[in-house]
Amino acid sequence: MPRKELKIKTKGDWIDVTVPGRKISTGHLHPLTQVRRKVEEIFQSMGFSVIEGPEMETEWYNFDALNIPKDHPARDAWDTFYLKNGLLLRTHTSPVQVRYMEKHNPPLRIIVPGTVFRHEATDASHEFQLFQVEGLMVDKTISVANLKAVIGEFFCRFFGKNTKFRLRPDFFPFTEPSFDIAITCLVCSGKGCPACKRTGWMEVAGAGMVHPNVFKYSGLIPKNWQGWAFGFGLERLAMLKYKINDIRLFRSGDLRFLRQF
Amino acid sequence: MARYFAEVEEIKKRGRDYTLDIDIKPNRGGDCFSHLGVAREIAAILNLKLKIPEAKVSPDKKLKSEDLVSIEVKDEKACPRYTVGAVAGFKVGASPRWLADRLRACGLKPINNIVDIANYVMLETGQPLHAFDADKLEGKKLIVRFAREREGIVALDEGKYDLSRDILVIADAKNPTAVAGIKGGRLSGIDKKTKTIVLESANFDSRIIRKGSQKLKLRTDASWRFEHGLDPNLTELAVRRAGFLIQKMAGGKMAQSLLDFYPKKVFPKRISLDLNYAETLLGIKIPKTTATNILKRLGFRILKGSKVEVPTIRRDISLPEDLIEEVGRIYGYEKIPALFPQASLIPPERNQELFWENKIRDVLKEAGFTEIYNYSFLPAGRNLVELKNPLSREQKYLRNSLIPSLLKNIQNNKNYLKPGEEIRIFEVGKIFQRPRQEEKMLTGAISGDDKFYEAKGVVDLLLQKLGIANVWYDDYQASPKDSSSDWWQPGRCAEIKIGQREIGFLGEIKKEPKAAIFDFNFSLLQKLFSEEHEYRFLSRYPEAVRDLAVLVPLLTKVEAVLNIIAGAGGVLVRDVDLFDIYEGEELPGGKKNLAFHIIYQSDKKTLTSQEVETIHQKIIKALEKKPKWQVRK
Repeated sequence: MPRKELKIKTKGDWIDVTVPGRKISTGHLHPLTQVRRKVEEIFQSMGFSVIEGPEMETEWYNFDALNIPKDHPARDAWDTFYLKNGLLLRTHTSPVQVRYMEKHNPPLRIIVPGTVFRHEATDASHEFQLFQVEGLMVDKTISVANLKAVIGEFFCRFFGKNTKFRLRPDFFPFTEPSFDIAITCLVCSGKGCPACKRTGWMEVAGAGMVHPNVFKYSGLIPKNWQGWAFGFGLERLAMLKYKINDIRLFRSGDLRFLRQF
Repeated sequence: MARYFAEVEEIKKRGRDYTLDIDIKPNRGGDCFSHLGVAREIAAILNLKLKIPEAKVSPDKKLKSEDLVSIEVKDEKACPRYTVGAVAGFKVGASPRWLADRLRACGLKPINNIVDIANYVMLETGQPLHAFDADKLEGKKLIVRFAREREGIVALDEGKYDLSRDILVIADAKNPTAVAGIKGGRLSGIDKKTKTIVLESANFDSRIIRKGSQKLKLRTDASWRFEHGLDPNLTELAVRRAGFLIQKMAGGKMAQSLLDFYPKKVFPKRISLDLNYAETLLGIKIPKTTATNILKRLGFRILKGSKVEVPTIRRDISLPEDLIEEVGRIYGYEKIPALFPQASLIPPERNQELFWENKIRDVLKEAGFTEIYNYSFLPAGRNLVELKNPLSREQKYLRNSLIPSLLKNIQNNKNYLKPGEEIRIFEVGKIFQRPRQEEKMLTGAISGDDKFYEAKGVVDLLLQKLGIANVWYDDYQASPKDSSSDWWQPGRCAEIKIGQREIGFLGEIKKEPKAAIFDFNFSLLQKLFSEEHEYRFLSRYPEAVRDLAVLVPLLTKVEAVLNIIAGAGGVLVRDVDLFDIYEGEELPGGKKNLAFHIIYQSDKKTLTSQEVETIHQKIIKALEKKPKWQVRK
């Protein structure tokens, strides 16, 4: 049934204030753009510059320079699209760490938002094209305690003051030590529910102290510098924030979805 | 456990027992793809004593491994250690229930007691074992070598594999009898008649096993462990443990002596533990006794000075940072305080590109456009960057334009919207060109017929908000080389130019879904952005409006008329507003009527009607100088 615009013709002074107002049509920014702006705003206020990098990447920047050697099982963690022109589609925004450190001397504070690609089958929680944000801070004595302060501040400003987070041991070849970062489950506030597999926590990011080899491959002298890096997926953040249940909606181009934002 | 070591994905009850599915990260594959390794971690976390599986065999003094088999390793880099022990006097049969159950719980299929024990010891220690039937080995030999061209092997599960020169095999005097570290061969397999076995406990180069496994597309419990790199010092414990279990459960006896090829013994590494560095890195001071106690619990030896000896099983530890991680994680990351860094107050640099990108988004949103994020792939097209391993036929290439996906968005959304409802969408994203270029584009679409001027209005607004002036629109001449030319409606497209430089494109789409598109190369646009904006003086004097209609040939451009009006009118013409274009039957053939409001205004005084009329007539005269133009009075 074609819907028609409401026509109103009234007499006298009285109007029915419960009649719906005229629909105003406006445009909409993509939820990922909105979340990205929020993230950028928070980190910029803490002195981080926003940097971008190429989506077609060399094997060197995507893997070797990040201490992920060829023929090593650690590479299996990143399912990769390879291109016939000899490049690959970056599997994370971490290559920009190396590209940036090659050209800039510490102290440095950057975040790197950008599209990344994973060669994997899709479902409601898996997607082969994603939007990631990388963070990097390097100076003479940057520590895990500093990471905790900055990332904690971020979560509080993004998800609300009562958001708690925790670090657990994890493994990434380009950081040592490495952490998995989880925040209090936003559904049950940490009490335990199906959304957080009854743990009360939700994994949202990976982080760690920059591995000496990454400094070395970036042309910096490892013993002079310390720093941390983190990375998280914007889709995951947006899904938590807006309670979106299917990651594939972001790139569906479905206006019924996009016009809600 | 997850707090200090690794994530437990699942805990499942199995009968009276439980299974834990633990996500061991690849760096800990060498020591923790085993129950012993996980037990070592738990012991360290809970400060308990670790119990090593019993492996004390009472050997058969008459049985000598060297009488049954000789070993030869051709490449000691590919095989740093090769340990074998013969076992005889057992009876091949089914495994006891508890053993079969445990194997099943770990996802392995019970076969017979000998094979099951070999697998069980692999689960316990992390060291893969293989049992050969000693009587089936041609020439009583085990040779570790690379396969020859055109050699093949039939595996235990009857699978046939073609081998090549980069695949390491275990061969007898004649044929390959196992793919080293990956899978055993049928020829030397254990069956009910097997009387004597040779138990192999070897160490292979992780890269060679990984490559071989990828090449044969054959991943096994053994290959998975080997490709993560194992401690060569593990072979002996594993082979003795298997001998012990066979003795206990199948009644066999192990030979007195093992054959052991181990030319370069691996000794423990020594690393400095610098607690000051640990403090600056972690941001917390950990007392020395606490740190050394943690390391001791994890099996490290504390030497004099600040040196620490790393057990060879921990192949992941080679840097001081690795030691700090060990101390830090067992100490507890939750104890580390949150402290803001003491950094110099450097304001972040503004990313100009992103600033303008966001500005564009906001302008288009205000103009009623919805932002889309599409996939960066296309199913077909000419001269595109091609994927080596696409996920599907729909994603074989990288996109070289944002237009196809936006048109698809329009098509798909039509089903959901009110009939005839206009769709306004845009995307900012990367496109890719051969050989290796990538560029950021800004592309927008308005659905429907005849939307050129609407899209042009949006472009004008956008460029104005971006501070880009002096733009003009040139007719688009499709060149045969232009691969995108087949979707544009001829005669309804324009190149958007500054000077002679094209900065963007505007046009209507020929096929369904009909739409008008604007397409900008972001990096070209970026050079033109300007935040400069100057206020235009507001005149205190009234404006006078005169209308003017002119008949011109159909192909005459409005711009040409406007140029003449501006030229003849001079500074007192404040603005010219085209309000009607008419091409109708009652007009003389081949003509169209253009109607303008001309707004006259001075900054210095009120213009008299005489003054306005004089300029207006001057404009009319200038227009009528053109032979086929006629001002209508």
